[in-house]
Amino acid sequence: MSRLLDIQDLCIGFSAYGQHRRVLHHVNMHVEEGERVSLIGQSGSGKTVTMRTIIGTLPMPPGKVEQGSIHYAGQSLLDLARAERNALKGTGISIVLQDPMLSFNPVLTIGRQMDDIIRYADIRSGRRRPKAERRAQMVETLRKVQLKDSGRVLDSYPVMLSGGMRQRVLIGMALLNKPRLLIADEPGTALDVTTQAEILALLNTLVAKEGLSLLLITHNLGVVREMADRVYVMERGHIVESGPRDDIFDAPDHPYTRRLMAAVPPLYGHKVKTVTHTGPGDMVAVEGVSKDFLTRGGWLNRVTGQFRAVRDVTLNVARGDVFGVAGESGSGKTTLAKMILGLTSPSAGEIRLDGRPVSDFAGTRDFRKLIQIVYQNPGSSLNRRRTVADQLAVPLKFTGQDRAAITRRIGELLTLVDLPQAYASMYPHELSGGQKQRVAIARALSVNPRILVLDEPTSALDVLVQSTVIDLLNRLRDEFDLTYIFISHDLSLMRNFCNRVAVMLRGEVVETGPVADIFDAPRHPYTRALLSAIPVISPEEDARKPPVTEAERAKVLATSTELED
Amino acid sequence: MSALLNDPDAPNRGLTSGQMAFYRFRRNPLAIIGAIIVISVILAAIFAPWLAPSPESAGSFVDFRNRHAPPSWDHPMGTDNVGRDVLSRVIYGYRVSLGLVLGVLGFAVPFGVVLGLAAGYFGGWTETLIMRFTDIMLALPPLAMALAITAVLSPNLINAMIAITLLWWTWHTRLIYRIVKAQMNEDYVEAARVAGASDVHILFRELLPNCVSAVAVKISLDAGFVILFGAALSFLGLGVQPPTPDLGTMVATGSEYMPEMWWQAVMPGLAILYAILGFNLLGDGLRDMLDVEL
Repeated sequence: MSRLLDIQDLCIGFSAYGQHRRVLHHVNMHVEEGERVSLIGQSGSGKTVTMRTIIGTLPMPPGKVEQGSIHYAGQSLLDLARAERNALKGTGISIVLQDPMLSFNPVLTIGRQMDDIIRYADIRSGRRRPKAERRAQMVETLRKVQLKDSGRVLDSYPVMLSGGMRQRVLIGMALLNKPRLLIADEPGTALDVTTQAEILALLNTLVAKEGLSLLLITHNLGVVREMADRVYVMERGHIVESGPRDDIFDAPDHPYTRRLMAAVPPLYGHKVKTVTHTGPGDMVAVEGVSKDFLTRGGWLNRVTGQFRAVRDVTLNVARGDVFGVAGESGSGKTTLAKMILGLTSPSAGEIRLDGRPVSDFAGTRDFRKLIQIVYQNPGSSLNRRRTVADQLAVPLKFTGQDRAAITRRIGELLTLVDLPQAYASMYPHELSGGQKQRVAIARALSVNPRILVLDEPTSALDVLVQSTVIDLLNRLRDEFDLTYIFISHDLSLMRNFCNRVAVMLRGEVVETGPVADIFDAPRHPYTRALLSAIPVISPEEDARKPPVTEAERAKVLATSTELED
Repeated sequence: MSALLNDPDAPNRGLTSGQMAFYRFRRNPLAIIGAIIVISVILAAIFAPWLAPSPESAGSFVDFRNRHAPPSWDHPMGTDNVGRDVLSRVIYGYRVSLGLVLGVLGFAVPFGVVLGLAAGYFGGWTETLIMRFTDIMLALPPLAMALAITAVLSPNLINAMIAITLLWWTWHTRLIYRIVKAQMNEDYVEAARVAGASDVHILFRELLPNCVSAVAVKISLDAGFVILFGAALSFLGLGVQPPTPDLGTMVATGSEYMPEMWWQAVMPGLAILYAILGFNLLGDGLRDMLDVEL
């Protein structure tokens, strides 16, 4: 086999603000004809820089290729003239970007955007084709990515498609001009796990059928195991390990690879930690709770309908529980959390915290001392214009403490979450993602609450950082006898962190119980579909996934191949 | 860009955002020129009595022997129709202009910002009331409004200031409203509410700091336009009254002697241009440095 893409000794540096820094160090990697290769790395490891250098979209300056070469099918990409290099776009190398929403222009139809791609490729290669012929090619491509009703899809605007359909269209666009190398940057990571599984399967089928080569860039080891023949592991701009997939997964050699593997929470098998602790008495009682949202429109903003986000949910969370609420986007898990936090009131039913109805005391000082929240994205939940100390002081100030007590408490809180005291005067952008989340946890703990709502607290973090944050949360729970409500779509993490879980689908709790029961013997088809869709890192885990039939899957999952009416 | 430079989970040990902003500013020659011009105008206004070659020209001084003298070493910008030194009057004129800027923006900015914060934060009827009123004010032609106001009251500096202020706050309301609306989607607002923070705290301690850089840029761009607007009013005889030296009035009076005795109108005109150019270059530089969209 010949090398389709060959990167030799690539070094890239950045000069910005009078400073110089090298971000890629002597990178050697290649993709053979028909091969599926994965580049794994955490955020900031240099994998995106590598990808952008290959496709020629790295801004230069500030970026600079200091050494090395990139060859595509024998041509040296870095030496090609601009026009020759552009001619390869789409026809030689094509790319599928991560975010299926941001990659579209929202005001143009899908058809128009696909047509542009064909037309410009035609112009570059000096061809001219009638519109109907181009349209036929688009329909053909959409069929390849298994989208039904291609005519309607082509006439739709991006917002009219679901996330999964947009990702399919995006893949179709990359295939329009029959490339030989497909680069996929975190495909499907922005989607729900069941949709992601469909997208990965589609990519695998396409690579096999069309004879493509695939370069997959991702941080998700589970995805890599399903999608790669050969793997490169990148850490801080260095390729630290490479080899056939099974070698890397069975016997990782480099300490960094081993740390990465160890940090991935196992779904099944002997490495799973089952959490069982629980205390006496109900801390949170949710009884028959529903929430309706009114949709408005038409003349004078009249109510035109209602949408039931949460439907007749009943849950009990015991003192000391780590209670997981699992569900995909739109399942109503965040709305449920907001009702528990008293930020919005239920349309029906009642929620009691420690025996008291939420509606009686939401917003009071007592309420805030009972329950607090940690948000998903610390970049958004921390105010970037205020120092760490300022932000930690807010809850303290509004429970009426004086300045000396506040200062003392801020010191204690930083120690509690393992941050140096000096961080008190820093602004959020000076901290890393994991450190920011620690500050957010410290803020939630500042008034000694007894319940914490954790709204996907680690989903914005890399897997290594995630494991340290989870360790911290476990330690704090033991130390302060906290009760957690953990909202997440990451079932592997839940398996190891929670003692009880509830699975939500379209506003309803479809299954609830102790974590081992739910994972080992899931009864509801949706739970089984969810579990079986999770990309895992060992064959042992794959083997123990629950079976789910096609009919069951079709019943509980929304399709990403068809437009809804 | 900085995301590419960062280590996975190490804190950002490089430059602080202040240093980066200053670096961007330093690399922008036009912004530096703008800053120098603005500083020179401010210094000229403050030290006018010491800088002006003939401070008495700022008043109702008359020297008929020297009237209509062209630019020379004694009078670098020439003299006007009663023999006063134009350069001295320009320097004193900056005092009036900057006073106008301070007066107008000193009232219009806080007023506009508070209304914008309230409209964006509270939403609902508050928002409708404030923003629709703002729209109505914006729909009125500014010069006609200012003319009407100063004509009803008597034409002088204070009334010109009131007229411009009444028109100016609207832009700040709109700017802040839009920023706050975007910020309301950020979790920190809800986080503050869960922490028990009061509305006043959220408005002024959480949201306002996120508006500061945009307001700073807007103010520096505004300053030039306020000077221009004030000069336009004076030109029409509705602003500062003689003998107080005002750049707009000087252009108006000087224009009667155009084109033969051009310096009487052109020199104060250039002085207006100089100040506005300075404020606008500075504003653009600040915008790049603080990375805000207006």
